[in-house]
Amino acid sequence: MNKISLRYEQISCRLTVEGLPDVSTGQGGQAIGILTGWGLALAGHTELEGKREHLEALLQVVVPYARHLISGAPRPFGDLDNPVAIHPDGPSHRLELRSSQPNTPPLTLQLDDAELADLVRCLDQLRLDSRLQLPLQTPPPQPLKRSELRRRVPLGRRVAAPLCGLAALGLAGAVSWMVPTPKPGSFSPSQGQRKGADAALGKAAATKPPANPAPSGQASANPANATSANATSGSAQAQRGQSPTPAPGGTPR
Amino acid sequence: MPNVSPALSRATPLPRRGLERLDLMLLCAEALDLNGGEAMVWMSEQLGYQSLFPNRVELWKRRCHNPLRRNTRRGQLQVEDTDALIRILTAMAERLYPMLRQLLSAAEPAAVSEQRWALFRSRLQELIQERLNLRRVGVRKLLDPIEGPQLCHQMILSLALSAGTGGGDRLKASLLDPEA
Repeated sequence: MNKISLRYEQISCRLTVEGLPDVSTGQGGQAIGILTGWGLALAGHTELEGKREHLEALLQVVVPYARHLISGAPRPFGDLDNPVAIHPDGPSHRLELRSSQPNTPPLTLQLDDAELADLVRCLDQLRLDSRLQLPLQTPPPQPLKRSELRRRVPLGRRVAAPLCGLAALGLAGAVSWMVPTPKPGSFSPSQGQRKGADAALGKAAATKPPANPAPSGQASANPANATSANATSGSAQAQRGQSPTPAPGGTPR
Repeated sequence: MPNVSPALSRATPLPRRGLERLDLMLLCAEALDLNGGEAMVWMSEQLGYQSLFPNRVELWKRRCHNPLRRNTRRGQLQVEDTDALIRILTAMAERLYPMLRQLLSAAEPAAVSEQRWALFRSRLQELIQERLNLRRVGVRKLLDPIEGPQLCHQMILSLALSAGTGGGDRLKASLLDPEA
């Protein structure tokens, strides 16, 4: 049976997949059901070859990376156990390919935006090609989480608002702490005013006795008048900042 | 076989920010292609969206749901309208891919690349000043001499990654991102 070869090309990238149709599942013609090998040629870099696992690892790393990049929130993909990893590296992207051979350093490829776009387009063509009947697992594109999107805002701008809030709170606390609190019993405005008013009224009573002292029965005969008079004088005194204490000698002046 | 995310298969309308980005990316496509407006109408006919956008005015009315527009339209844009606009944008990006690639490539001579970027930014600024509300913070950022070039680069990169067969789903997922 002849091998089938599928080729996906862009300006700086060529991806070739070779395989055979899986006759046991009824495949035929140009379909590939069994992958025998694949190769990736990136302009100016070493040609890469690998097995199906490596191709799947490449898809699982590069496609989600492109998904994050299109939202402006790039982040590394592929941990140490993964044969392929990709990281944002300043204006470019670092693709790392780790060999399964022990003591072999990883191969690092530095890709610019255009080369990465070419690679993504090749991988898109591969995974959406109906002739490739392989169940290649790639994460479906989905909206990012809010926490993932916050990373695209610089750290300084992210923490500026909470830091300003905390600083304002601290400043307000410090100012309120510096204002002296009145000691209990040291100052009573009503007592002080009453003493002052009593002293003034006592002095006046001593120097000038009342001209028409009201008879003691008059006040009791018309209590409403007395009350209203007291109330009036009280409000007047209150307006002058004095306590509404009636004058000792009769109607308050 | 392509696997589609449940979030994309649901008929979820685009959020406000997604509408802004979609219209800005269409504006970028217009800035790259001098005849971009006509190309968009032609592309919509080619893709079979004549019932949705029978003429250029209907297409323009849908795009005016962008809150950054000078003459913005209120109300929610239907999912089929946004899907059609995304499809038109990916088809435009596919057509403009060689230009997008030239802008993004680090292999190009620096002077030539800078000249291309300057030309693109000047065309985009003209379109922005003509159509968008210049009092909006988002629009001011685009015209800012420091932030503007970064945003332009991000939009060109997004256009390049949304071109092609799988780019539509990637772009739609990105436009459905929540507010950060």
